[in-house]
Amino acid sequence: MTRFLAWRLGRALITTFLVLVIAFVTLRYSGEPFDRMFPQGLTVEHQQALEREWGLDRPFLEQFAAYLGGVLQGDFGRSLFTGERVWLMYAERMPATLAVGSLALVLAIAVGIPLGAVSALYRGSVAERAAMGFAFLGYAVPHFVIGIGLILWLGYYARLLPGTGLDTPTHYVLPVITLAIPMVAGIARYMRAAMLDAIGQDYVTTAASKGIGPGRIARVHILRNALTPLVSVLGLEIAGLVNGSIFVEAVFSLPGVGRILIGAVEDRDFAVLQFGVIAYAGLVVVINLVVDLLYVAVDPRIRLEH
Amino acid sequence: MKTLLATTALATLMVAGAAQAQELRIALPTFISNFDPQDQTGNNGAPMLYQVYDTLIERDPFANPLEFHPGLATAWTQIEPTVWELTLRDGVVMHDGTVMDAGDVEFSLDRMFHHEDPEFFAAWGRWFYNFADVEVVDPLTVRIHTHREEPLFETLISARSAGITSREHYEALGFDEAALQPVGTGPYRVVDFTPRDQAELERFDDFWGEPAPFERLVFQHVEEVASRITGMVNGEFDLVANIPPDQESALQVDGVRTLGVTWPMFHVWIIDQTDEVTGDARVRQAMRLCTDRQALVDGLWGGRGHLPLAHQFEEYGEPYYMPGLDLVRYDPEAARRLLAEAGYDGAPIVAQFTENYYLYGDLAAQVIQQQWAECGLNLELDQIESYDYEVLDIRAWSNPMYYPDPMGAMDTHWSTNSWTYSRDLWRPSHPDWDATYEQARFATDVDARRDAYRRLLDLAEEESGWILLYEPHEVYGVRDDIAFELPRAHRPYVLPLRAGQITFAAGG
Repeated sequence: MTRFLAWRLGRALITTFLVLVIAFVTLRYSGEPFDRMFPQGLTVEHQQALEREWGLDRPFLEQFAAYLGGVLQGDFGRSLFTGERVWLMYAERMPATLAVGSLALVLAIAVGIPLGAVSALYRGSVAERAAMGFAFLGYAVPHFVIGIGLILWLGYYARLLPGTGLDTPTHYVLPVITLAIPMVAGIARYMRAAMLDAIGQDYVTTAASKGIGPGRIARVHILRNALTPLVSVLGLEIAGLVNGSIFVEAVFSLPGVGRILIGAVEDRDFAVLQFGVIAYAGLVVVINLVVDLLYVAVDPRIRLEH
Repeated sequence: MKTLLATTALATLMVAGAAQAQELRIALPTFISNFDPQDQTGNNGAPMLYQVYDTLIERDPFANPLEFHPGLATAWTQIEPTVWELTLRDGVVMHDGTVMDAGDVEFSLDRMFHHEDPEFFAAWGRWFYNFADVEVVDPLTVRIHTHREEPLFETLISARSAGITSREHYEALGFDEAALQPVGTGPYRVVDFTPRDQAELERFDDFWGEPAPFERLVFQHVEEVASRITGMVNGEFDLVANIPPDQESALQVDGVRTLGVTWPMFHVWIIDQTDEVTGDARVRQAMRLCTDRQALVDGLWGGRGHLPLAHQFEEYGEPYYMPGLDLVRYDPEAARRLLAEAGYDGAPIVAQFTENYYLYGDLAAQVIQQQWAECGLNLELDQIESYDYEVLDIRAWSNPMYYPDPMGAMDTHWSTNSWTYSRDLWRPSHPDWDATYEQARFATDVDARRDAYRRLLDLAEEESGWILLYEPHEVYGVRDDIAFELPRAHRPYVLPLRAGQITFAAGG
């Protein structure tokens, strides 16, 4: 176990470093922040002065060495636009993203698993077609379309729910639903496939021949076995929450990290985006590790190997 | 009698409302990245900075022509052609609890006047390049030195970019942190600020002037038009800004009224005067003659944008605004003749645009492309993320009136300190241009300045370095018990939320 963790940690560090290098190189060559910072224009003198101040006039390797030196000392820099410390920006906005994301995840699991299970158990029925139709739509329609649609329907026309910010519990409803819908669709589809796979296994036939009731077979033999591959899907969905939060936070004006990320991409706010990319890579690495460990916990047949 | 009673009751209600604790929630489409008055020069800061910072001299927000009255200075005199002496108001408490003095004025303004720190280059180039230094005479007296005699001294020193902040605050925290925790002297103080997201302001009880009408202001960044409209309709906001005119009908609901405004601001196209093709004045003139702006105003803005007839705004007031002046022509035939004279052979003219920055800007470009094609002009549209000045011949831009004076839109955009000049786009070549500009900018005689400006407009026609497209129209959504007049003496987007500028019903 210790060997496995050490191996995975080493791999995670190398992955994170490579991500850092790629992010730094691509960002530096993807453009400058000046047009976004000064949409009304800036003089050549002004641009050169800012380049000097931010070190952008220095050789590329020197810039990278300075950045890496800062990172190793825990200094991820400040936003070029707001002057905030980058790590603090993320720390302050993370609670909003986590709150909406975790609620969306719980909702997606609570709805997606039963939906997929029912679709598999009642294959060919109207319920299955309706559930899979919903899943198809939920997967196909982008977050921002769902979000604006919900704002117009439940916010503007019905005037039932607010559509901006997170001031009260009711403010969470629309963004959570928007973020959850594609996840529900994903989980339901995977669940259905896993259940169908389990239904075709010999142990299900054996259980039926022993005279065990269909309800018990579904609960004990099919559902439990179908949940194992879902662990990896959930890992992917959690990582995908960050992608979804970018759109959802923009549409609902939420004070979360997704909004920082999209702003930093548009603005070429180097330090902010670099930290975001590294943190995201770190998150994916951690999730993968947790998924691997969970696999071992839920399926004893799997052993920890390199 | 009934009317009188109703009016009295309403007035009582409003007065009562004004005396009560109230909150105003405002949704804005763009948001500032920090709260420093000298650093934040964009339109997105205008609604907020006005509430937090005071200037030495204040303008009457609604007077036309401009009128000035005491702000943080109680008296001011021009003691030499290039020196103004100002007596500061005694006992002005700043938002950090310190008392404002000459040191704060020196700190706030010199960092901009001295032109050393790039954070303040934009404000310097736009307003303060003729300002040299602040001299502290005593704690309540300063002298402001200018390089040359400054006919616009009061106008410029009353711009919000000359707002006064606290020296002690900046020295204690450093620029980055201090700019995120603003300290001014205005009627509202900032209690919570998340850059590009939200700002909460509360009434500053130690304000030196009349207390603010609202107990609390909440400015929230809401990018999506649909979200701003929904927030207004379902009561999340009391005021929403920048609603496109074609969306106005969505705000026609009970409890909400709309306020349309055509700000003093041109959408313009800059034409590169140093490019091989567009360097020929005849080609540039042909571009102007071939642009049917009335069609743009009618087609894109539903007739609600304003068609400018010269580079001037009514807000200049007497004697600078010249009613009846019409320098605009739409004459495709003349355009074709000029192109033939210039030997234009259909070489591509590249216009670059960033996405969605100027409302309807991309649509306008497509219409103009068609209009120009009929004259034989080959316009290529290039949507980009960053401008490439080596490639572009045309760039979309806007010219807001930063202060009500002919120079408020001309000097701030087309002087030799402007970025258009620095980037070799705007290079007026007429032999009279520099001398005429000099007069229009620095003449101390009012008539001489007006006459020079009139001549400058004719020269600008010959130069044809820009195309005025239209003055855009936009809509505010407002809670229907709120009433205010937009302050035309300030730059666009300032919101009048100080005492005596806005009324509202009690309990609203």
